[in-house]
Amino acid sequence: MTDSQTTQQTLIGQRIPKQDAPEKVNGRARYVHDINLPGQLVGKILRSGRLHARILAIDVSAARALPGVHAVITAADVPTQTIGVTRDNPPLKGDKVRCERDEIAAVAAETEELADAALALITVEYEDLPLLLDAAAAREAEAPLIHDDKPGNIALQFDYEHGDVVQGETESDVVIEDRFGLHYVTHACMGVSGVIADFDDLTGNLTLYSNTQVPFLHKREFAEVLELDPNRIRIIQPTIGGGFGSKLDIYPFEPICVYLARAAGRPVKLVFSRAEEFLASPTRQPARVLLRSGCRDDGRLTFRKVDMLLDNGGYTSWGATTPMVMMQTFSSLYRVPHCLYHSTAAYTNNPYAGSFRGYGNLQATFAVEAHMDKLADAIGMDPLEFRLLNAQEAGEVSGQGMHFRSCGFKDCLRTAADRSDYRARRQQNIEQRNTGPVQRGVGMASMLHVGGGAKIYPSDGCGTILKLDDFGHVTILTGASEIGQGSETVLSQLVCEELGLPLTSVTVVNNDTDITPWDVGVHASRTTFIAGNAAVGAARLAKEKILKAAAAATGQPMQELDLRSGGIVQRQDGSTLMTLDKLLRSMHFQDKADLVITNYYYEPPSVHQDDQHKGDVSAAYAWACQVVEVEVDSDTGVVRLLKCTAAHDVGRVINRLGIEGQIEGGIVMGQGYALAEDLMIRAGHCLNPGFRDYKLITAPEVPELDLSFIETMDGEGPRGAKGVGEAPAICVAAAVANAIENATGVRIYQLPFTPENVYRALHAAAHDPPV
Amino acid sequence: MPLLHEIGFVLNGSPIRLSVPVTMTVLEMLRGPLNLTGTKYGCGEGECGACTVLVDGLSLNACILLAVECDGREITSIEGLAADPAAAGLRRAFVEAGAVQCGFCTPGMVVQGKYLLDTRPGADRAAIARGLEGNLCRCTGYRKVVDAIERAGTTPAEVADD
Amino acid sequence: MHNSDGSNTAVTVRAYHAPQSVSAATALLAQGETAVIAGGTDLVPQQRTGSGTWQPVLVSIRRIKALRGVREQAGQLWLGPLTTVSELSCDPLIARYAPVLARAADCFASSQIRNAATLGGNICNASPAGDLLVPLMLLDAEVELSCSRDGVISMRCLPIEEFLVGPGSTQRQPAELLTGIRLPLVDAARIFVFEKFGTRPALDIATVSVGLLAVAAGDCLQQVRVALGAVAPVVLRARAAEAVLEGRRLDNEAITAAVAAALAEINPIDDVRASGWYRSELVCNLLTRVLRNAVAA
Repeated sequence: MTDSQTTQQTLIGQRIPKQDAPEKVNGRARYVHDINLPGQLVGKILRSGRLHARILAIDVSAARALPGVHAVITAADVPTQTIGVTRDNPPLKGDKVRCERDEIAAVAAETEELADAALALITVEYEDLPLLLDAAAAREAEAPLIHDDKPGNIALQFDYEHGDVVQGETESDVVIEDRFGLHYVTHACMGVSGVIADFDDLTGNLTLYSNTQVPFLHKREFAEVLELDPNRIRIIQPTIGGGFGSKLDIYPFEPICVYLARAAGRPVKLVFSRAEEFLASPTRQPARVLLRSGCRDDGRLTFRKVDMLLDNGGYTSWGATTPMVMMQTFSSLYRVPHCLYHSTAAYTNNPYAGSFRGYGNLQATFAVEAHMDKLADAIGMDPLEFRLLNAQEAGEVSGQGMHFRSCGFKDCLRTAADRSDYRARRQQNIEQRNTGPVQRGVGMASMLHVGGGAKIYPSDGCGTILKLDDFGHVTILTGASEIGQGSETVLSQLVCEELGLPLTSVTVVNNDTDITPWDVGVHASRTTFIAGNAAVGAARLAKEKILKAAAAATGQPMQELDLRSGGIVQRQDGSTLMTLDKLLRSMHFQDKADLVITNYYYEPPSVHQDDQHKGDVSAAYAWACQVVEVEVDSDTGVVRLLKCTAAHDVGRVINRLGIEGQIEGGIVMGQGYALAEDLMIRAGHCLNPGFRDYKLITAPEVPELDLSFIETMDGEGPRGAKGVGEAPAICVAAAVANAIENATGVRIYQLPFTPENVYRALHAAAHDPPV
Repeated sequence: MPLLHEIGFVLNGSPIRLSVPVTMTVLEMLRGPLNLTGTKYGCGEGECGACTVLVDGLSLNACILLAVECDGREITSIEGLAADPAAAGLRRAFVEAGAVQCGFCTPGMVVQGKYLLDTRPGADRAAIARGLEGNLCRCTGYRKVVDAIERAGTTPAEVADD
Repeated sequence: MHNSDGSNTAVTVRAYHAPQSVSAATALLAQGETAVIAGGTDLVPQQRTGSGTWQPVLVSIRRIKALRGVREQAGQLWLGPLTTVSELSCDPLIARYAPVLARAADCFASSQIRNAATLGGNICNASPAGDLLVPLMLLDAEVELSCSRDGVISMRCLPIEEFLVGPGSTQRQPAELLTGIRLPLVDAARIFVFEKFGTRPALDIATVSVGLLAVAAGDCLQQVRVALGAVAPVVLRARAAEAVLEGRRLDNEAITAAVAAALAEINPIDDVRASGWYRSELVCNLLTRVLRNAVAA
């Protein structure tokens, strides 16, 4: 950039390198795996391997007798508290086990070898119970109960309705109904799960080195489950090796590690192996969707009726609450006058699901966008036209009560279609069908997701403290966690933009509950929006304070002053009156000394859903359309993703480099969901707990990417921005399904589109795919 | 007690002598007794590349390489590249290209990037992507990692700051 | 399942040796209870995941210079078993005499694994899906096995097809060391194909791999060899398919007959990567495609 004037003028929209990238590149960033406290022991967990069994006896005497083993614990040794969304999960299982990963006992020992040896000495007697390996089977009248206090094996149910679907169906010229199947995948963060617990018995102080995405919420929850005073719990987040939603709930290994530290009287570090990460981490929520949709011949949608069955697994984590997001896509992505939604999550002896980037929206979008193509086909309308006709617009309030104050949906649709030459290619592909084994297809899918936080908890806010000091250095203390998404850079930009400072003068502190102000956590694509608004608010307070002091120092009216280029300037001509560091020093040293410290708490103007799940839960909504181009080889079933053209309503680009990284990474994660990743749960057991057979997308498989950012300048967003963290992963599988149909004429309703599954679908093989 | 075996090797330019259990991997040795934690454990079976190191100039997975097999050899870990001015252009390119998000795969990516630049100078994007097929990343979608290595391969070592 | 990795303590290694000569190595092997380690890319993960165990004596052959190199020797191409997969993919002699082997090497795992994994290791690991075994079968490779008896080294030579017995199982006796791989020196222009099925260029265990080697004579193929990976306990030569194709005009009828013959020769299993049924379908479709492309070429 040669024009220094331009770069000086604004930091917003520039390509700003991530501030913590240098220490990560140099291998100096310290993840939980890299931290070792003096006297630290190794913690390990004994897991059941059984799916459903009563625990008759656990004998830990031989393990306890092993020299070098400092603690061996079972359910008998710890409080009877439970964890999880519905508090149905005891960290250590005492009476029975309900899935493969279940935690039976844990040890803390001097070395990993000793810990393994101790685990091997523990004997457990089980009495096997009948298995429930399928959500439908779990709902049958005579099905055994996974939890005695959960009749019908019902974990959670959600019902939503607007309009009258019966009337909607009578108004329809075309009605279609299909079943969709969504499979198990898992986060597979590159950094495996881990925690260090450091407990002081004299003070009752607990310090946790944790990868959590929600440190303040977990502080409270840890206090409950551990029966500790929440004031004595401090959570420090070392650099986190990937989150994607996986660290939004407390999972058993965390309280277990604290129990071990308390029992051993020494710090304990508990880190998973990669195999354990696959076996004992949350999954994305699998789902079966029965979707019935209708439209009129003129192309207007009439109704949607949805019945979903979710396999809840043995316990309830966030996966079971994803229907709250799924219903938004069914009810509000397009204008649907009548919508009826029901979902049941049923306990089984399978793994349990957590939250995962998109939070149910990939699953819902997969079904909705298939029906958008099918309905368009049924009435002979171009699928782009059909979507444009039904798309939401700015100013509308959906049936579910979501108010779309800014909405670039139609721009997204047109941009993605134009840039991918969607219409012409789609037609061309249809004409080319059946001319050879390898065919091309294009497919489109769109999405709606929260982009201004999500009011789930009593507060959806974030606090920021700013401290300006000598040399004009600004420290941002924010509750917003950094998990790789680049929040520390965006917050620095927003603050420096307000204060006219270069990015070199900022430090962000964001990883210690004893230091940083409260935040609800890093989830729901909320950090740029919520933490960004909090940072801007604190910066504006600081600016006011500084300008007031500057007015006094210069004798000029405050409203004629501004902060630019590290100095106090004349607002009109930009001429520098004094440097900021000089002013700050003079504020320290004057008679009534003053330090520039401000704090601001931002609470978005969103509301909770009412008891009918209606309400404007987010302060802004993100929109996108993606068009993919695939090549389908019907001789092998291989589907290659050649190109993804993505147009996202992001409100406004704050960090162009960062947002590109989010969108690119999200698309490739969506590509994995569609085409490669398949956590194979067969008869309750995970068959592929490793990267050899759980296939992440690799570098050579990445398609050509064409990204467009639609800037709708959201009125509430910081500098107009909206959240986009989850958005890019949401459309890909739905678009790929439509593209496969475009290439081959065959619609596939069950993910993933791995070669054998696609081959079977294309050839309608007599052999059904293994369940 | 596992059998110990004494080995000597050069680590990031410095000679080291050490007794290690015969079945200890280079990854365990680096992260354990040598306290170099830049090299990461991602899978332990050679599938993800987070532990990539250079041994006699070849990129290898430290998690499946026995330490005893490095007797007499030269090992370069990310800490070695971090102190190497000749690798500064590559490291800077990773930062500037946006190739880093959570950063857990990054040290392995940088080491593999160094190997690619050393052995395939001028490689095109497709060749760079193939060269990265053993390095898994969950965040970036790889495009900016390829950008970084391509940029480092085409930019002279000394670049202006702007 | 608690000790899912890293904790295989069944066998404790009580000795580690890194001999520098074949005689020293074979003398160690003669004493028994040994595991040979070369690149370690199969051996070490197998210990970690519990799918293999150490032996009490670990013999590293990395320092034996005589096991390295690629050269023409006595009318054959000799390959040292320590030749790494990376070296195979860029060796000029292999490019000239055995390009199909270089092609398979390029599809092998990842850059890091290719830098460590050795030709000898891939052969001795005897995976039904072994990437290098398909071209070695096509090329009629022979393996040299050496052992030491009373200080005297003796060597026997076996065709690769005979050497491979089953998954992870070979004719190598515990006292024997694989000391060389021999390929016939054929300089004639041959059609060669190696198709490893998968969605990635490499970093994949083959679901099915198909190899073809032949001399084109007009619209016929001669000296036809077909090898198939991951569809039987060992990589196999589809001899019935070869017989169908030999010297015959490569029309649709011939291709159909050859594919039918190949399908009768395979015995694919269901595993986590694919069903046996799908593997059969892949053999059928990929072999058909390979043969059609051979016609087109």
